[in-house]
Amino acid sequence: MLRFIIRRLLITIPTILVVLTITWALVRLAPGNFYTSDKNIPPAIEKNIREKYGLDKPWYEQYRRTMWGIVRHFDFGTSLKYEGQSVNAIIARSLPVSATVGLLAYLLALAVGIVAGSMASLHPNSKRDYASMALAMLGISIPNFVLGPILVFIFSLTLYWLPPSRWNGFPSRNVILPVITLSGLYMAYIARLTRAGMLEVLRSDYIRTARAKGLSDSQVILRHALRGGLLPVVSYTGPALAFLVTGTVVVERIFVLPGLGNYFIQASLNRDEPLIIGIVAFIAITLLLMNLLVDIAYAFLDPRIRY
Amino acid sequence: MPVLHMHDDRPIIPGDRDKPEPGLTPDPAPSYSEGDVIHTAPEFAIAEADVLAAERGDVIPGTSLWRDAWRRLLKNRLAVFGMLVVAIITVASVTGPFIIKQLTGLTPDYIPTDVALLRSIPPLTGPEGSFSWTHLMGTDNQGRDLLARVLQGGQISLMVGIIATLVSLIIGVSYGAVAGYLGGRIDNLMMRAVDVLYSLPYIIIVIVLLSVFRSQTARGQVLLLFVALGSVSWLTMARIVRGQVLSLKNQEFVLAARATGVSTPRIIFRHIVPNTLGPVIVYATLTIPTVMLTEAFLSFLGFGVQPPLASWGSLVTDGIQNIGIFPWQLIFPGVTMALTLFSLNFLGDGLRDALDPQMRKL
Amino acid sequence: MAKVYLKQLLAGIAIAALLSGGISCRVVATSGDFYGSTTPPQRNILRYVNGDEPESLDPPVSAGQPEARIYLALYQGLVEYDPKTLNPIPALAERWDVNNDSSEFVFHMRRNARWSNGDPISAQDFVYSIRRGLAPVLASKNAYLAYAIAYAEAYNQRAVFVRDKETKTFLLEKHVADNASASTAAVSQKPIVSFGSEYDAGSTEPVADPDQRPDPGSDTAFHQFMHSPPRLTLPGGEDARTKLLAKNPKLQAAVEGKEFVPVSAEDIGVEAVDDYTVRISLSQPAPYFSGLLAHQLFRLAPRKIIEQYGDHWTEPEHIVTCGAFKLKAWLPYNELVVERDPMYWDAANVHLDEIHFFVTTDNPTSMNLYKVGEADAVLNHTVPNVWLDVIRSKKDYMDGAEAAIVYITMNVTKAPMDDVRVRRAFNMAIDKVNYAKSRRITKPLSAFTPEGMFVGYPQPKGEGFDPEQARKLLGEAGFPVTKSDGDFECKAFPAGQVEFIFNSNSSNKAMAEFMQAQWKQNLGITVPLRSMEFKTYMNARSKLEYNGFAIGIWGADYMDPFTFLGLFTTAVGVNGTGWYDLKYVAMLDQANRTLDHQQRYDLLAKAEKYLLDAQPLIPIETSSVNWLKKPYVKGMYPNAADLYPWKYVYIEREPSKWDYGVPSLAD
Repeated sequence: MLRFIIRRLLITIPTILVVLTITWALVRLAPGNFYTSDKNIPPAIEKNIREKYGLDKPWYEQYRRTMWGIVRHFDFGTSLKYEGQSVNAIIARSLPVSATVGLLAYLLALAVGIVAGSMASLHPNSKRDYASMALAMLGISIPNFVLGPILVFIFSLTLYWLPPSRWNGFPSRNVILPVITLSGLYMAYIARLTRAGMLEVLRSDYIRTARAKGLSDSQVILRHALRGGLLPVVSYTGPALAFLVTGTVVVERIFVLPGLGNYFIQASLNRDEPLIIGIVAFIAITLLLMNLLVDIAYAFLDPRIRY
Repeated sequence: MPVLHMHDDRPIIPGDRDKPEPGLTPDPAPSYSEGDVIHTAPEFAIAEADVLAAERGDVIPGTSLWRDAWRRLLKNRLAVFGMLVVAIITVASVTGPFIIKQLTGLTPDYIPTDVALLRSIPPLTGPEGSFSWTHLMGTDNQGRDLLARVLQGGQISLMVGIIATLVSLIIGVSYGAVAGYLGGRIDNLMMRAVDVLYSLPYIIIVIVLLSVFRSQTARGQVLLLFVALGSVSWLTMARIVRGQVLSLKNQEFVLAARATGVSTPRIIFRHIVPNTLGPVIVYATLTIPTVMLTEAFLSFLGFGVQPPLASWGSLVTDGIQNIGIFPWQLIFPGVTMALTLFSLNFLGDGLRDALDPQMRKL
Repeated sequence: MAKVYLKQLLAGIAIAALLSGGISCRVVATSGDFYGSTTPPQRNILRYVNGDEPESLDPPVSAGQPEARIYLALYQGLVEYDPKTLNPIPALAERWDVNNDSSEFVFHMRRNARWSNGDPISAQDFVYSIRRGLAPVLASKNAYLAYAIAYAEAYNQRAVFVRDKETKTFLLEKHVADNASASTAAVSQKPIVSFGSEYDAGSTEPVADPDQRPDPGSDTAFHQFMHSPPRLTLPGGEDARTKLLAKNPKLQAAVEGKEFVPVSAEDIGVEAVDDYTVRISLSQPAPYFSGLLAHQLFRLAPRKIIEQYGDHWTEPEHIVTCGAFKLKAWLPYNELVVERDPMYWDAANVHLDEIHFFVTTDNPTSMNLYKVGEADAVLNHTVPNVWLDVIRSKKDYMDGAEAAIVYITMNVTKAPMDDVRVRRAFNMAIDKVNYAKSRRITKPLSAFTPEGMFVGYPQPKGEGFDPEQARKLLGEAGFPVTKSDGDFECKAFPAGQVEFIFNSNSSNKAMAEFMQAQWKQNLGITVPLRSMEFKTYMNARSKLEYNGFAIGIWGADYMDPFTFLGLFTTAVGVNGTGWYDLKYVAMLDQANRTLDHQQRYDLLAKAEKYLLDAQPLIPIETSSVNWLKKPYVKGMYPNAADLYPWKYVYIEREPSKWDYGVPSLAD
């Protein structure tokens, strides 16, 4: 096991370097520059800018400089668009926003999803089961950039209950709508996973025994079934969390939250090379670590898998 | 929603099984033991006695399997519902614009010449505010008939969904099968490449693809979308197929084929790949809605289809802009899109249940 | 169990409510005199939706409008914009004197101005700021605005003087000029006959009040240098210089054996005559120059702090500012908060305690914040066009003329748009009057300067809507338009080769679609549309990597027609069409050297007509200011550039004194 983990970690490093190299090349290929704006820039001024940021140097020199900074000091440099702001600082202050919304959304999704899923599993193929699963499917099928505006329309613009957008720290009323919007999809997935896992467990002999003893539904679920039935949910947590943290772009855009996803889209549109590379590196590391964790978790949960 | 990595956005739910899909563990080292994760093998391995038949080219596994699956699918009411809705929407999208043109003379890209009509008119209302059948869904900001646009948007969205999925299917299946069959170092390298691609921010890839290979026409742009979306959504497919192939490649029918001197490409594509069709079909069905969502997301960012064409995604994006004041612009395309995705997902689920032998126990 | 179903039930109800009730909800948005809530904020603050995230708090660095509005709170220049007319009003300078041909300005600064850390603000601070703003290493995108200042362009572009190694004298422009045109030189470049006289030759009556009399400061060695004939400057780069010299044997001979001396910051025509007097010498007459000085490029940056902290000086813990407000907090991509600065020389007349600049570029989001009362005012062009039918009737809707135009550029370097007849045909095939009607608040435009913006400017008229003539012109150009089935057709025109590019946003898209329909109806040509992500689009347009049409939008940098006409004075990049005509450049030059205001306008108009005849562009509309402010926000006016000197803004809690409608710009 330990050998496996070490091997995986060793592979992770070159993987990330390859990812960063490809990203670097792609940003170079994309037309336009970070200084392109609606006011055209006279060539002489463009030349000044290029010299200032070392863009006049040959590409391999620029590549070497970028990569060396990352490898040597884990320093991604400073943003081109946001004069003087270091990429590390931007990530450090936008990550908590994304993480707060993401974690809250996931907790909400877990709570609702597990309850709904286990309730549905108690009476498989009943109307109730169909209804809740259809509802879950609806959650999967409504894109969150449709769900978000609809929630804003109802609870903010029409009822004047909640602010329509903006980040105001945590806790605040501003968090409610983004969290609900983000959790919809995951709630639905977790409900389905829970139902599936529970169905499997509920068929097993020990549950039948427990029922035969005359235990009530809730006792059966809480005491016996949940532990085994939630295995799929647990294994889903790894990848889901990684994407909750980094993949909240839409929610952050709709609700104008200063999170990592928003920065990433902005950086891409701004061709802000150091910031793009920094965020990609962060996402890549998070993803690879999450994948590793999931593999380890599988090994513990499922004795049939051995590394 | 499908943002950084559309392919991961829909985690393959082991659905109604207790084990992860074989291809999905990120590094299922080649040490899978037989009879372990290969739950589909017994059904698909019927070919072992059919090596010769397979050699002759009729590689479709025993018809009884497919007939069984079809029977199970029909028993699943939600899947049938999904199938019907998808069929109706498809037919309406294809024929609808013609019918509307015959009935009212309106086309999806017709902008009224009278400037007084260049505005968003509510459903079932005439320009003067009285009742009118002309615009069942109202009009968009430029006075174009929304129903005609929703139907035409359906053509584009369905087309993007299906064709991009086919593109991803072709790349993913070949890649996964080759990696799985060759195994060892090559497999390791190929799957490492997939890992790398997984961590790439695909929005950048799409921006580059759509701007470097720019197209002159709206139709050309749609073609580019097929390629761009297809080329970033094959990764999960490759993993699934690889997992399947890993489990199939040591089965007797493959060994027999190898022993009789069949060439490697032939073994991969004539013998093994057909046996992975079940999970591939299921995953492809589930990829279609994901791709449609991604197209919508690209439209949300302004990279989607070009005017005068519209897709559901671009219509929804326009609708979001005006939800505070012309809600019908979001509601009609949004509901149509959600309904289609909903149905496609049910259909995909139904297919999985039908093709998944584990479900037989239920 | 009941709980679970309650949740599902609620979700179901919400969706059902939306499907059925969505349409009726529209009524809520349209009722009432104002759009949404009208409750003033608890505290004495203004919450303003400011658009994009500011790139930097360093005034010369950013070129954008959101930054400009923040700098208006944080920094001062010698002059400030008038809140209504945008004309220059005294700020750090109490008054200023202009020489007879507007080529030299003397600013007399107030003595009580202070930085937010308490240090006094002196003339040297201004000189430092402008030198820094022009420094090539700072690479300011705005630097071109100061190019009228003597040697500013040369310094910013790293040019060199040519100096004799022995005599240490510099080579002058007139030594190598083909025809000595000393007569056209600006007064600032002519030797001084009697010091001070160039400041009052124009006035017919002697001014009695000594305070009103022009005060050109004292004569200095630097002043003498400015008034000597201009030195020759050559490109600083070896390659560019060699190329230039190779082309011009006379120049080559003159330069032979001499040394090259880089133009330095000290050579720029900006001088601190004493601690509180600044003299600016230009290389050409520029009547609009004092108005330009309110621009962020000319706002003061703190030398001490910049030298101490380098690039980090704008960080909240280091920053020192000089405006009516100082930085309180900066939460990137969320908000920037400024608070009243007690050190400000006029702090007693600053009304707001704080201004919160919200960051969002999404119009519906901004409108939502405004509607529910989370924001008190929103930036210009926030009201989506199609909402105007509803919003325009509200009493908090701000309406007014805007110094900005929308036009279509054509790439004149590629066929078929290289034919002026084709370009004219496409222009004449657009019904701009109807288009403006569909846009509801804009004015149709047939010229390249905003309609009716510059008083007394005899704006020329370009060709109007005339489809008949347009088809004829196309025919003459070899693309006959035929009529079949009641629809026009132009089979010969290579429609597949051209395209109409624009950056993706809904208003541009609507415009492009309208134009596409017009051309199809009137010429039978379907021009493909291509919506592009912003940077891609800018790149394609400025490098002429498109064939056909592109959207252009331009807003005034200062209130003078030249800010528009000047776009076509460079050959590459800037104008986006590839059209460049030396005659046009000469016409503008001549106009700017004209002393008489009206005569100058006439000459500018002549140049504009020349531009319109060449038709590298299709004028579409003069934009219109369109934004919202709550009725309790007073002192904000819908001026032509969406810039607000914040010290005049206040919150009025007494409803009877609120603005019910657009506050008047007159008086």
